Amino acid sequence: MNKMIMMIVVLLPMLSGVLIPLLPFRNRRQMMIYIETAVLLNTILVFLMLANPPQNALVLFKFTGNLSVSFRLDGLGRIFAGLISALWPLSVLYSFEYMKHEKHEKYFFMFYTITYGVTLGVALAEDIVTMYFFFEMLSLITLPLIMYTLTREAIHASRTYFYYMTGGAAFAFIGMIFILSYGTTSNFVPGGVIDLAKVGDKTNLLLIIYVLCFCGFSVKTAMWPFSSWLPKAGVAPTPVTALLHAVAVVNTGAFTLMRVTYYSFGTELLRGTWAQKAVMTLVIITIVYGCSRALKETHIKRRLAWSTVSNLSYILFGVVLMSPLGLTGALSHMVFHSVMKICSFFCAGAVMYQTGRTYIYELDGFGHKMPKVFVLFTISGMALMGVPGLCGFVSKWNLVKAAVASRMPLAYVGVAALLISALLTAIYMLSISVRAFFPGKQFDYGTIRGVKDPNWMMILPLTVFAVAMFCFGLHPAPLLELFRQVVSVF
Amino acid sequence: MDKWILFPILLPVIAGSGLLSSAFLEYVRAAKRHGNGKTAGFAPSEGNLKRIHILTGTVLVLTAVSAAGLAWTGDRSLIVFHLMKDIPICFRIDDVGRLFVTIVSVVWVAAGIYSFIYMKHEGEEKRYFGSYLIVFGILVALDFSGNLVTMYFFYELMTLASVPLVLHNGSREAIMAALKYLFYSMCGAYLGLFGIFFLYRYCDTLTFTAGGTLNRILAQGNREILLAAVFVMLIGFGAKAGMFPLHAWLPAAHPVAPAPASAALSGIIVKSGVLAIIRVVYYIVGTDFIRGTWVQTAWIVLTLITIFMGSMLAYGEPVFKKRLAYSTVSQISYVLFGLALLTPTAMEGALLHTVFHAFVKCALFLTAGIFIFQTGKTRVEEYRGIGRKMPVTLWCYTFASLALIGIPPASGFISKWYLAEGALQAEVGIFRWIGPVILLLSALLTAGYLLPVAMNGFFPGKELREEADKQEPHAAMLIPLIVLAALALVLGIWPNPLIEYVRRIAVAVM
Repeated sequence: MNKMIMMIVVLLPMLSGVLIPLLPFRNRRQMMIYIETAVLLNTILVFLMLANPPQNALVLFKFTGNLSVSFRLDGLGRIFAGLISALWPLSVLYSFEYMKHEKHEKYFFMFYTITYGVTLGVALAEDIVTMYFFFEMLSLITLPLIMYTLTREAIHASRTYFYYMTGGAAFAFIGMIFILSYGTTSNFVPGGVIDLAKVGDKTNLLLIIYVLCFCGFSVKTAMWPFSSWLPKAGVAPTPVTALLHAVAVVNTGAFTLMRVTYYSFGTELLRGTWAQKAVMTLVIITIVYGCSRALKETHIKRRLAWSTVSNLSYILFGVVLMSPLGLTGALSHMVFHSVMKICSFFCAGAVMYQTGRTYIYELDGFGHKMPKVFVLFTISGMALMGVPGLCGFVSKWNLVKAAVASRMPLAYVGVAALLISALLTAIYMLSISVRAFFPGKQFDYGTIRGVKDPNWMMILPLTVFAVAMFCFGLHPAPLLELFRQVVSVF
Repeated sequence: MDKWILFPILLPVIAGSGLLSSAFLEYVRAAKRHGNGKTAGFAPSEGNLKRIHILTGTVLVLTAVSAAGLAWTGDRSLIVFHLMKDIPICFRIDDVGRLFVTIVSVVWVAAGIYSFIYMKHEGEEKRYFGSYLIVFGILVALDFSGNLVTMYFFYELMTLASVPLVLHNGSREAIMAALKYLFYSMCGAYLGLFGIFFLYRYCDTLTFTAGGTLNRILAQGNREILLAAVFVMLIGFGAKAGMFPLHAWLPAAHPVAPAPASAALSGIIVKSGVLAIIRVVYYIVGTDFIRGTWVQTAWIVLTLITIFMGSMLAYGEPVFKKRLAYSTVSQISYVLFGLALLTPTAMEGALLHTVFHAFVKCALFLTAGIFIFQTGKTRVEEYRGIGRKMPVTLWCYTFASLALIGIPPASGFISKWYLAEGALQAEVGIFRWIGPVILLLSALLTAGYLLPVAMNGFFPGKELREEADKQEPHAAMLIPLIVLAALALVLGIWPNPLIEYVRRIAVAVM
């Protein structure tokens, strides 16, 4: 297939997004049709592209010398691009209903659609400069989405978000410069590009830079101690929290770390060093820390956000195992976690949209009033805690398989952390379900009169996600085969 | 032909899911209607109730007959599908599975029939029978599991499916107990999973093979980590069997469930922990790997602590059902103690005790249910003179108690005999004699906490002699109880076929 398509899928959402406030829509319905068509079209293009991947790289423009913005589709990028474009149209559908009563929704949809293109830019980036370019752009373009409600809290949250992102990008920048000066090329090459002759006896410096760079990129995945922006950003409308702060933005962080670790620094260089141990320690701490904070939290969206913190570190745990198996685990958790978390966020959003309640202790008896939403929420909760038969178990299995195979004592600690986290997940997810379905004998249903399930635009995406959880959980073989192909280059 | 293995698994699961979803729809509809005010509990109408009973009864009997029939007509196996490339979900019927599935079928049918009457005073029959049937199907699947991952799969499903049984009455206490049950079980399951991950790497296959599948070459040099993993698994699966230190959920969760559900939980569900441990130790890791290590010692110590502690707590407990729950804690650890000794004789004792305890504990809980159902009283001292009102019930109770204490010729004597003999044969140092001593002490305590109920029931003293109108329960409650009590007695008098059978298992795995 023509390589120009890579440019099209990145630019089409950006353009159609920019046009949203400019086009003279006669009513809301027209706008909805326009946006959904644009997004769906782009998704179809992406999948066409994935089916017939273009072989060559596409240079968009050159900054100077060998610094250019260029695209190339490889295995890792295919998975990320596929994941993003599968989820986007469904989220947009959900947002139509969710944003119905909000003001300025045109601007919301503008930024929301642009983000689609930017995220695909990260997925398709051929070299670290391009990736960094889109990585920065993603931080900036999502800022207005957090600020959206313009309340004091939202502005405060977006400020925090901005500081964290800028700080992270600065560290990431250091790593990039280092790769540019010590690497043979700025492109992503499986196994890494560091030129050992150039490094000479400065290996330790290189490792320090790696740790800094890792921390920089991991700000986006909300790794401890850089995690507090994520729960704060929960003030954004739910479609943003669900798609961006549980999938697109945070997975971009994880994706860039896969690139940097496996394609730039190279695992050969890092495996077994103190740098690996250092980052793995941070990751393990985050896994447990995120869950414990989730357990303590009574605000439903913030609880899910802390759960994201912990789950993103599952992915990073796979990444820092620095083995093909680890990458397989990381990729599977990236895909599966996206589906599970977006589903649980959308359920929380449906509750907020229907009733305006946001705290968990207000949800007594809701299971009887919103049965569809809470059945789906329970399924996503069970998937998150890793009940076999649902997809969470598969990714956990792959991660732990890699950890045990690595034979590092620290990785064994990681396995324990994963299981502790699974137990905490069971507690913080299922306690919500039990409360909703079994409010106790004395519960007065009069207090939740009029609460009911939302309409199909919200239920359809949720159902699709739930079905996906079962499908991936019971028959993950084709997907795992795909991951195996991706990591076979190492 | 082997596809029929799926029948006793799917039939109750499908029927149960049908009942559950119908119950759920009823809820939703009622919650819509009674927007204001409380929704009362759902007592189905008379005709409806009859239909529920017929459905449940048919499914129970069909499942039990087909499960037992499949189990006793040869070894079968079936690969259902591949979860991952090298991990099939598969069923295989072997000697241990055969034994367990038979116990499950007997107890489940007995407690099920009993529930028809008992549940009239708890209400919400659809939800109860729905979960009850689903758990039955899952248990059959668990017993037929052919490898460790399949077993884990159904182990976790069993926990989730049995939660509604615990929180059935919907009181705050029940909900808290159910959450406790859920989280302890999850904790245990994850500890088990931790071990499975390691075994997956160091074993040739996770398919159950008598004698174990541990790869000696791979295991060399990783002995310590593997032992630790096995120990973690024992603690984890021990949680379900109420072994110290993860036992605390059991005395909370069993008594709050409706009596037939507690009977099923205490008689059967705890045995899944035993089954899991048998599978791990005897069919995956192999006894040679553990024998003489710190794992064996620690395991024995834990079981002995549990035996003693459970009996002591039961002795001091005034609420009847709670007392029985503590007794389960102690008795299941008899089984685990036998398994921990790693000798054929002890394992025979353990398996025999598994069978006997299932019938006996179920009978005891059914008795407790009858007392509660007929009199509404829950504390032991309130049962004074109850033998005059319900002599048959109390006789059944007495026989079951004798079996549990281990007084010949009732069944418990045989299993305890083998357990003690196994302990004396085993090379476990000081525990060779400490074990039997604690077994004896605990037997004394068992007599101490079970027999007073019978004695005070039959001989209340002079002042209570007056009120003695007969109050025997409905036949549907009495007959299951009589059958179970008779089994507890008969298996003690003619134990030989059973002993032969468990000997075959024990010899095969060691």
